[in-house]
Amino acid sequence: MFACIYVPDFPVEVMVRAEPVLRDRAVAVLEGRPPQVRVIALNEKARLLGMAIGMTKLQAAVFVETSPSGAAKAQVPQGGSKRTDTTSHSKLAILRQCSLQQEISAHAALLDVAHAFTPRVEDTAPDTLLLDLEGLDRLHGAPAKMASELTARVMAVGMEANIAVAANPDAALHAAQGFHGTTVIPGGKEAKRLGGLPLQVLLKGFEMPAQKKAAGKASQRGREKLREQMLDTLKRWGVCDFRTLALLPEHALVSRLGEAGAQLRRLARGEGMRTLVLCAPPSHFEEAMELECSVETIESLSFLLNRLLEQLCARLEARALAAHELHLRLQLERRAGDEETTTVENRVGPFFCSHNVAYKQIVERVLRLPVSMRDSKVFLKLLQLELAAHPPGAPVQKIWLLAVPAPPRSAQCGLFLPATPGAERLEVTLARISALVGERRAGIARLLDSHRPESFRVDRFAVPADHPKTILSPTMWNVNNHPPLAMRLFRPPCCLRVCLVDGRPDRLATETKQTDREALQGQVVWSAGPWQSSGDWWAENAKLDNARAGQTGPWEREEWDIALARASNNGAKGEGGNVALYRIYRDLATGQWFADASYD
Amino acid sequence: MSSVAVTPPKVSFGSPRSSLRSRIESSLGEGLSSTLLLRERAAPLTVPTGIATLDALIGGLPRGALSEIAGPSSSGRTGVMLATLAAATRREEVCALVDASDSFDPASAAAAGVNLERLLWVRCHERLKPQVASVKSRSSTNAGFAFGAALEQVLKVTDLLLQGGGFGIVVLDLGDIPVESARRVPLTSWFRFRRAVEPTATVLLLLEQEPCARTCASLVLRLQPEAIFASNSTTFLDPDQLGPILSSHSVGLAGTGPHIPKSNVVNHAALLRGMRFRAKAVRSWAQRKPPQSTGISFELRTAL
Repeated sequence: MFACIYVPDFPVEVMVRAEPVLRDRAVAVLEGRPPQVRVIALNEKARLLGMAIGMTKLQAAVFVETSPSGAAKAQVPQGGSKRTDTTSHSKLAILRQCSLQQEISAHAALLDVAHAFTPRVEDTAPDTLLLDLEGLDRLHGAPAKMASELTARVMAVGMEANIAVAANPDAALHAAQGFHGTTVIPGGKEAKRLGGLPLQVLLKGFEMPAQKKAAGKASQRGREKLREQMLDTLKRWGVCDFRTLALLPEHALVSRLGEAGAQLRRLARGEGMRTLVLCAPPSHFEEAMELECSVETIESLSFLLNRLLEQLCARLEARALAAHELHLRLQLERRAGDEETTTVENRVGPFFCSHNVAYKQIVERVLRLPVSMRDSKVFLKLLQLELAAHPPGAPVQKIWLLAVPAPPRSAQCGLFLPATPGAERLEVTLARISALVGERRAGIARLLDSHRPESFRVDRFAVPADHPKTILSPTMWNVNNHPPLAMRLFRPPCCLRVCLVDGRPDRLATETKQTDREALQGQVVWSAGPWQSSGDWWAENAKLDNARAGQTGPWEREEWDIALARASNNGAKGEGGNVALYRIYRDLATGQWFADASYD
Repeated sequence: MSSVAVTPPKVSFGSPRSSLRSRIESSLGEGLSSTLLLRERAAPLTVPTGIATLDALIGGLPRGALSEIAGPSSSGRTGVMLATLAAATRREEVCALVDASDSFDPASAAAAGVNLERLLWVRCHERLKPQVASVKSRSSTNAGFAFGAALEQVLKVTDLLLQGGGFGIVVLDLGDIPVESARRVPLTSWFRFRRAVEPTATVLLLLEQEPCARTCASLVLRLQPEAIFASNSTTFLDPDQLGPILSSHSVGLAGTGPHIPKSNVVNHAALLRGMRFRAKAVRSWAQRKPPQSTGISFELRTAL
């Protein structure tokens, strides 16, 4: 058995997929450059209004007029900020400009649905897919059930399609193109079921044997012309549908129309059998939206991002995948005085090859997720926070959203394991915290292999998925059963003036008047040291390595542990055990004293 | 509320409280509103601090409650915090440290056995530029203003972490925040935090110089430095006398003297061996009003 997914009025469905509110409206899609803008597709409601394919934009604008002055409402932005969804406008048509990016995304969504159903899929046309259902009855049930399942899955990605199931691919294709909704043709009943279809359905995708080698736009026009000639010929013979063509004698048809005649007759009888040309599932999960009116605020942009994210997540769900990286690209409106930006990356893949964006400023933000996710709301929140932290800076004209697919995470939770933060919620929490405290100020501290003080870096926090290895307690702890003494660091180190007696610190005071280091001055009551340490003098690339870690140059210092008497509340020193222990050091390169930690 | 005719039950003074309660409830029957009933408060689940003597004193840190560890600098607050975090991460819990003054030392934490992979470190303090001000301007008001932004960040981050949930321990480190600034945190914030952690298994731990959460804290522990161990002369320093005196361990080491030899240039880490601290439970979930004299001593040693 074979199934065919056919999306009638595909350009219109693409628009409806981007804007679900258009589902109940008359929609016409325009294509071309002014003044040659014409209607290339419209839905049934637009046809009922009297619109037709091939109309100019001016002619189509008649169906969207709302005021006597003739001001057209055709400029409704896709962002939806200026909708005409009121009741009085519900009978009016809406015009949309054709978007190649959105058509490609919609086609990829269809392919995702088909490949989630069966691996044997033929990419027949942008609006048509053929599926081999052989052996799937155990998995999905009877053909009728499979057809309804396919319908539901296509609707889940935002489109309505005709689904037909038949014994051969061509019969399924013609049934999907000819009948609305779901059609199941039992084996052997193809000729009877397809008999009533008009010949336009048969000739729509038919390729003349002589034309198969030709390619390009010229051949496309030639094919259309030949099809029209063939249709005229058959109509002159009185052949208007499949049934009458199937009744014609084969020899007579071949003698008049050649090999094409025999093929047409075979197709009309529903007897054609061929091998599907299988295609690979799309590995690119990208959604795009081109706006007629630029969006200036993040709130408005959020609505559009939500729509794109829902489409993207539906596609990922259809393929049982998740995403661990999101790329958001925004094409900004060019303003007077803006420099021409030509730094457009070439990574964008086949979707953007034909679009010249060299003179537009592109902003790209990347969200790298610690675990794979598929929740559009979480993605939206993260993107909102990201955009709030890094605003685009200009109105947005075009949006691309790319998800890097990854297998969905699988976690086996145990009853006796401690609760950990949920991955999605934690990610939003971390993004909010980063927005509060700044980038790279919340995360995991990782120690670096260096003796340099403060040699660590802060990495992104993520709950470890696997069970960690047994952590060995510190040696001191094991031996003495005493936890180690901790240190509290001063960032940055506090500059000191130190008075030395016999080479040992005797009295110290802060260099600058720092309100939070008032205690760090006075008589040294006890000292130990010095401990001399240095590093990075041996490596030529030390400066480079340290620069990466945020530190520069070789270092050499002399450390002392000191105890300072602390003033108590009544001003007297030394009462109630008021002694504080600090670590101070002298930078041997400059001779400057600093306090960098306290023992606690 | 409907009035209920209540017959006073016969009370024998020697009867246990539970039996008295059951008798009152049975005599009132359905007429007693459940909101008026005295509910037995179950003992909270606790987590060990990782220091046995401290656990013996306070019975561990209660889950779903706010605990305070207060003390001046060098009083062992951070050591207790790291020991608690080490014990929690060893249980595979995820912990968070909201660092108000950006003073957390990852090396100390690793030495204490904290699994840094399971610790979310939030560095709140945005270092202010050195204030060039007169001595008069260095008043407590000015200090409070300087730390206001950091405290605001701390409170917001803590709110987010508690709302997110799933953390075993959330530590608010206000250890370097001046007492005047910490006391300016509105009591409603602590109430909010307490209410947020109550239905969870999270331990909300607050490190500070002086207790500031007042009645919102289920446990208040006050720490003081007691002694400093110096291994070069096996002496420890009694801060009360501000001078080195002989320890009980140095009885057999006559001649070491009370003063550290000034020419003794040795490894400084070998000089400072550790500190001993005094801990007092000011308020405890286990004992409503612990006697002030209740206290223990514990030691933290340098990680050699």
